[in-house]
Amino acid sequence: MKTMTLLATLALAPCVSPLILGGVAVKAETPVLLPVKNDPTICFRIWFKVGSQNDPQGKEGLANITAAMLTDASTRINKYETIIDKLYPLAAAYDAATSVEMTVVYGRVHRDNLKAYYPLFIDAITAPAFEQSDLDRIKSEVLNNLENTLRYSSDEELGKAVLYSGIFAGTPYGHITAGTVAGVKSISLDDVRNFYKTHFTRENFVIGLGGGYSAALLASLKKDLGTLPAAGAAGPAAPNPAMPDGWHVTIVEKDAPAAAISMGFPIKALRGSKDWYALAVANSWLGEHRNSSSHLYQVIREARGLNYGDYSYIEHYPRGGMHSKPPQNVCRRQQIFEIWIRPVPLETGHFALRAALREFKSLVENGLTQEEFALTRSFLRKYVLHYAPTTMERLGYALDDSFYKIEGGHLARFRSMMDKLTLDDVNSAVRKYWQFGGMRIAIVTKDAAALRDALVADAPSPITYKTPKPESVLAEDREIAVFPVKVSPENVTVVPVTEIFK
Amino acid sequence: MRQYLTGLCLLALVFCAGSAAMAKTIFPYKVHTEVLPNGLKVVMIPMEAPGLVAYYSVVRTGSRDEVEPGKSGFAHFFEHMMFRGTKKFPGAVYDSIVTSIGASANAFTSDDITAYHLNFAVEDLEKVIDIESDRFQNLHYEQSEFQTEAGAIYGEYRKSITSPFSVLDEKVRDVAFDVHTYKHTTIGFERDIKAMPEAFEYSHSFFRRFYRPENVVLLIVGDIQPGRVMKLITKYYSGWQPGYEAPKVLPEPPQSAERTAEVSYAGKTLPIIDIAYKGDAFNPKNRSYVAAVMLGELAFGSTSDLYKQLYIKEQRVDVLDASIAMNRDMPLFEIVARVKNEDDLPAVRDEVYAAIASFQSAPVDPQRLANAKKRRTYGFLMNLDTPNKVAGNLAITLAITGGSDAINEYYTEIDNVTPDDIMNAARHYFVPERRTVVVLKGARQ
Repeated sequence: MKTMTLLATLALAPCVSPLILGGVAVKAETPVLLPVKNDPTICFRIWFKVGSQNDPQGKEGLANITAAMLTDASTRINKYETIIDKLYPLAAAYDAATSVEMTVVYGRVHRDNLKAYYPLFIDAITAPAFEQSDLDRIKSEVLNNLENTLRYSSDEELGKAVLYSGIFAGTPYGHITAGTVAGVKSISLDDVRNFYKTHFTRENFVIGLGGGYSAALLASLKKDLGTLPAAGAAGPAAPNPAMPDGWHVTIVEKDAPAAAISMGFPIKALRGSKDWYALAVANSWLGEHRNSSSHLYQVIREARGLNYGDYSYIEHYPRGGMHSKPPQNVCRRQQIFEIWIRPVPLETGHFALRAALREFKSLVENGLTQEEFALTRSFLRKYVLHYAPTTMERLGYALDDSFYKIEGGHLARFRSMMDKLTLDDVNSAVRKYWQFGGMRIAIVTKDAAALRDALVADAPSPITYKTPKPESVLAEDREIAVFPVKVSPENVTVVPVTEIFK
Repeated sequence: MRQYLTGLCLLALVFCAGSAAMAKTIFPYKVHTEVLPNGLKVVMIPMEAPGLVAYYSVVRTGSRDEVEPGKSGFAHFFEHMMFRGTKKFPGAVYDSIVTSIGASANAFTSDDITAYHLNFAVEDLEKVIDIESDRFQNLHYEQSEFQTEAGAIYGEYRKSITSPFSVLDEKVRDVAFDVHTYKHTTIGFERDIKAMPEAFEYSHSFFRRFYRPENVVLLIVGDIQPGRVMKLITKYYSGWQPGYEAPKVLPEPPQSAERTAEVSYAGKTLPIIDIAYKGDAFNPKNRSYVAAVMLGELAFGSTSDLYKQLYIKEQRVDVLDASIAMNRDMPLFEIVARVKNEDDLPAVRDEVYAAIASFQSAPVDPQRLANAKKRRTYGFLMNLDTPNKVAGNLAITLAITGGSDAINEYYTEIDNVTPDDIMNAARHYFVPERRTVVVLKGARQ
């Protein structure tokens, strides 16, 4: 019964008010409301329908920087340091998160402090000062992130960025949200002002409000956000990237201590459709994020001790190393399937790649067994309860529901679909959306030339261990070592790390 | 729905009590503590969280307890081994049970503790108690499994060491400490990680000495009834035999002079300076320690003059932060700055010293101190809205102090801190003879 109560919370919470999204399809401008009457805090998520896909050519990174110029900078009313001083005793803050298609300005405050907080929050959105010193500071940080942090301090994030750029090359999704070095360097205050006027408009946002807010607060938000600039430009069409024909490998050459691997291809399935939930079951079995139930984890980490973890995804999952549950408000109209192999010893990079692809091929060709299907859906039915325990997270999901137009809400549908799906549904979705034989692969490693040659030659990649392994593992290793993944020479690119994000 | 709201409502009532009185009883939930005859302490905190439970098994052993040479990183390694199962529930069976109940399960290790946590539906409480009590009493693994897991540890090390902050942390500890085990990071020295596969026998002694009921606290938070929980705990944990052997952690001798070092980072990074002072162990009743916590915010936090000068106006740094650690023994109180221009390193360092000197020479503005107290209080309370957050917030203080009163005592003491206390803390801790300064520079520019 207790569990039923919990489930009911997820399902019913968005249905308290007729304004609330989730019950019916709504216009994008309808506020997304999640009232929690006695919650002493108030959660704001103001979603602007703009993201890095809207960056003008040559100004990659402009959406991200414009958002930062709202929340990490002065307004026309207060200098940045004054804002910090005023927010400090409130134990409150606001920030902006930009992804490919969404920018969300969000914050949470205790209701005792709302009166002092609200003007700061609303000024950030409606009255940015756009001062040169703020732009200099923000650009400097973004450039440091691109030139130093991403290139050198996390090979996993680097590999993922290279993968995304490869899959979406030539489309508005083709650069990371932070942009490119040249793009960021070229951004001027006029660029920021123009971008703001074009995209942070009164026709281009959705109010997300949750917790113990009042009707008066909602009215104020509507009125105040109504002072934003008038309509601007429409966004680009969703990209339609081609499915990779064969193996396409980008090797990032650097003095890395280990080999980081990410690979994948575009998929059409989007959250909300039956196929998506069917695919979610197969994906959870193959590679549930940060979870030892992941089959790839069992094969590569648990049985062989090659790395810290191995996972797969059917939705964009930024900064996966930092989070154990999916993020909200990173929706996009085109998703990818992705396998993430955390850094393995350099000499085992080729082997680990083969091991992962071999498991993937087996799943694509054979599907899940009844037992695997039953266990995985049992897991997911309850595991999704952990996705959004807080009002802020549930509000994030409610906005996502608006993006994907999911009646009743994604989390509730996720659970109900676990009861409805059959093994055949899951395996049909696997065959429909996943393919073996065509994939983009990004590898961050040392000795790139040797790996390129080995991939092109499809050379065996035997593995040796310093400690004993069971015969069953060794026998499988012999198969993995010669598992065919032959890459055409023209499909392998070696890129020095200094060339990435230029 | 209603049950969920009640917990938050409680939170609201606490806020309404007013800040001065509030600090005396800042923790808004009733805490039930019981101790089994074998010494196992059970802390239960019912809160209205419809159907959800957070279950933390907190072992009061961390990398601090790795006293034997060559065994740094072992507490963390052992955390991994705890997922390898028992004869009753072998690793794969344990995993399948956790999977079947849709639990969110993980663990972490720090300087002082190792914590295993699961979040799950209350209907699965007995199943969780069954598998958790079993692995803490009857852990069993083969040598080959042990050696394979050592590879995963090395993988974790390799993924992390690409961060310049990891490289810096290794160096600062190594230079600042001579004999205390805080000399090494929690993941351990690389040479010791390489040697882990050879320590199979040692791992058994680690389990035997430290994984004992009197060294463990169970922290169970959420939609629970303490009476029912205790019946289950008694049923499943009473057979666990005591026998904890406290390690002989050598106290760090007093430092007599400043230490300095430089470390090279293999990649490209802006230079980073870490100015670390020997602090004090966490003690919620130690006014100096608590004042140092407030000093860290006031002198180097986002409202400090130094932050506004170096980060916002002059833009000479892109990171400035202070960390006043909460540890069982004497930790480092650290100030870290990432500097945009290498030539600016000495000047930034001197600006940090000047900021400290200003706090040593005059009491802080009382309004700034009041703001900092208000922020701490609201910040703490706003982060108690789920069982997992409540348990996560309490786990370290509970493990370090062994008791559940520490949080209330800590916030009471924060409320009592005066501007003079801040000045005294600046004079006591932030002096050259306690100081270690390490500069990290990238090898590639």
